[in-house]
Amino acid sequence: MRLVVGYLATPSGEDGLALGAQLARSLGAQLDICMVLPPDRTVPARVPAETGYDDILASRAQRWLDEAKSSVPSDIDVDVHLSFHESFAQGLIDEVSRLGAQAIVVGAAGDGLLGRHSVGSVSTELLHSAHVPLALAPRGARHSSAKKIREVTCALGTRTGADVLLRTAVRTCERMQTPLRLVSLVALDPQNDLRDHRDTPDDIRDRAVAHAQSTLEAAKSALPEDFPVSVTIADGSSVESAVRTLDWQDGDLVMVGSSRLAQPHRLFLGSTAAKMLRVLPVPMVVVPKQEFENSE
Amino acid sequence: MTNSEGAPASADGAVSAKGLATGAVGTFSGAILGISSVAPGYTLTASIGLIVAAVGLKMPAIFIAGFIPMFLTAYAYRELNSESPDCGASFTWSTKAFGPYVGWMCGWGMVIATIIVLSNLAAIAVQFFYLFIAKLFDAPSIADLPGNKFVNVGTTLVFIALATWIASRGITTSERLQVALVGFQMVLLIAFAVVALVHVGNGSAPAGLSFDLSWFNPFTGLALGAFVIGLTGSIFAFWGWDTCLTLGEESKNPKKTPGRAGLLCVATILLTYLLVSVAAMMYAGVGEDGLGLGNPDNSENVFGALADPVLGNWGGMLLFLAVFVSSVASLQTTFLPAARTMLAMGAYGAFPKKLAEVSPRFLVPSYATVVAGVVTAVFYTVVTFLSERTLLDTIAALGIMICWYYGITAFACVWYFRGRLFTSVRNAVFRFAFPLLGGLMLFAVFVISIDESMDPENASGASIGGIGLVFFLGFGILLLGAVLMMIMRFSSPAFFRGETLNRDTSALRDEGDLTARSEPAPPSPR
Repeated sequence: MRLVVGYLATPSGEDGLALGAQLARSLGAQLDICMVLPPDRTVPARVPAETGYDDILASRAQRWLDEAKSSVPSDIDVDVHLSFHESFAQGLIDEVSRLGAQAIVVGAAGDGLLGRHSVGSVSTELLHSAHVPLALAPRGARHSSAKKIREVTCALGTRTGADVLLRTAVRTCERMQTPLRLVSLVALDPQNDLRDHRDTPDDIRDRAVAHAQSTLEAAKSALPEDFPVSVTIADGSSVESAVRTLDWQDGDLVMVGSSRLAQPHRLFLGSTAAKMLRVLPVPMVVVPKQEFENSE
Repeated sequence: MTNSEGAPASADGAVSAKGLATGAVGTFSGAILGISSVAPGYTLTASIGLIVAAVGLKMPAIFIAGFIPMFLTAYAYRELNSESPDCGASFTWSTKAFGPYVGWMCGWGMVIATIIVLSNLAAIAVQFFYLFIAKLFDAPSIADLPGNKFVNVGTTLVFIALATWIASRGITTSERLQVALVGFQMVLLIAFAVVALVHVGNGSAPAGLSFDLSWFNPFTGLALGAFVIGLTGSIFAFWGWDTCLTLGEESKNPKKTPGRAGLLCVATILLTYLLVSVAAMMYAGVGEDGLGLGNPDNSENVFGALADPVLGNWGGMLLFLAVFVSSVASLQTTFLPAARTMLAMGAYGAFPKKLAEVSPRFLVPSYATVVAGVVTAVFYTVVTFLSERTLLDTIAALGIMICWYYGITAFACVWYFRGRLFTSVRNAVFRFAFPLLGGLMLFAVFVISIDESMDPENASGASIGGIGLVFFLGFGILLLGAVLMMIMRFSSPAFFRGETLNRDTSALRDEGDLTARSEPAPPSPR
């Protein structure tokens, strides 16, 4: 099993690398650290751009990759790759296909947005076009002291792809041997599509409980006996506050699915996940709504 | 470790840095690239004033005279580039051919030339910005704003700051945008010329000169000094067309496309210049009154004065817009080679090492870009306060700088290939005859302009201590470079001892090689 880490020698890149190491250790996977450089292209300027520059850039990039590789603890298999593409995100996706990797890991930090998960431009592009699960490391993930993933929280509602999300979460927990915490996002929220204006709060509550119960049963039946699975109903007036009420610890991981607006095999950040990104202090994995051959 | 095509990297672990853009550029696109590099809208605006001030009606002759050495020396670039496409431009080639000192001075000339043109581009962008706004809002007083030095410098600094910021984020223009800009410029320039000629034809032109073939004859009626200074303007006008000659792997047919693209490009440029200059002269004459091209008030900005009378209200506005976007686009793209040349020189130890820094986030030369922006801003500010007609003086200085580094490159070509010059007719022509002739011509212009530039009357009239400002901007800066070079020589001599870059250096493999030349590069740990 292989994980592609999209890397730049920035703090955000190191966040991604740290998360990649945690995941690799938990899943028993190999890490492929990938950096994508813009290709050499003649620019219309009066002075020809010094063509030796590209070699200098490539050798600098190679040094960055080598430093990254040596910063990964020795119990993890690591390989480094340098490729060229106008778009960093597309270059990463191409590497995933070429290497047969099962997921992409990147640092999500961008430019000065609020909350732990500001989404930078590469992450945003990936969120919109990756066909494999995408793990986003929050700002500061590199300071985490957790060696492995401690618990997986899977937040799901009733939108398309929830079944895929549940299956992926179950498989992941089994492989990582971590407890699974299910969170039902049938929240008391005007955007929620289960609501009917004639519903009373009790009706909504009943529906939420029912959904939670059925999800729990589905998960338990797919996992071995005594495998620790729990379910919580997220409570609150909005998704962000619902997520805030939950307990989070270092080493936790959150999995969410993409919304029904996504194209098949492509991720699109639904409103729920976008809201959660703003307030989560832990890494988030976004799972495409359809299964792809190599998914974990 | 493999590169994106899955091909194994070479034995010592370096990666071929050629990315995905191979085989995409045809003859026509290559020519567009070349024309885009020259930015004819901007170039004509900048150079017509200087050329007319120097040679009056002989402008067409001067364009042809300037074209010849620029055409010939460009082939030196092509030959050197096809020999070692991975390895650099003027700086690396001249160092390999003539050693570190000449190479350093050549690189310096190139960097300074780029800085001067950056400040020039920003200045013209500012002028046409105000002209365009004035036209758009029908408020003619706005057009006079650039006349106020503080407004001028202030706005220019803003433009330079913006361009620096954009360049440091690694943002570049797309190919479609380039084509659109070139098309836009060319359409308006041709329209201008044609309409001017129509005016001449039906007698509504202020000067209405009749066409005279003697305008194309450089050998009569021109003093040497005037000829040479006019030539610097013309040399500047053709600067950059050789970009399409160095396309290499990116072109569809690397053997033929660059050559054809180059010919198409340079022919187009030459014809456009001749057409526009003849039309402008026939329309406005070269007198010093009114719309005459020799009028000092107009010489800095020929289109500014003529756009309206020739093309009318809307046409004039479009012409301003064309020159404005041409300058802004060129300003943006020119940051790239400025920063990259400084980075390469820094990486080889010729310039301070800090210039070799690459931004880990944007993957562009971070420090070098900022330095380029700051030096450009300082240069422009100083020259504006020293000169009444900054653009004239800087273009002349630029011409001198181009003669310097193009000349050295041309001789570097001949010297570098000296063992193989006559192995074939083709080599004899392109590696010997063309570069040598072109180099000698540029060298002659350079030498003669040492003396001529000291006379302030040859350019804008600005002077320091009685000596023309152009002399200081051109030769003064070269002398300053020599001083800086000696300082570098003493503070970090590795480059000057030939340890980092010599004839045998192929592509730069590993920066570690630069400091520890005696050990082989460590094998990549895989």
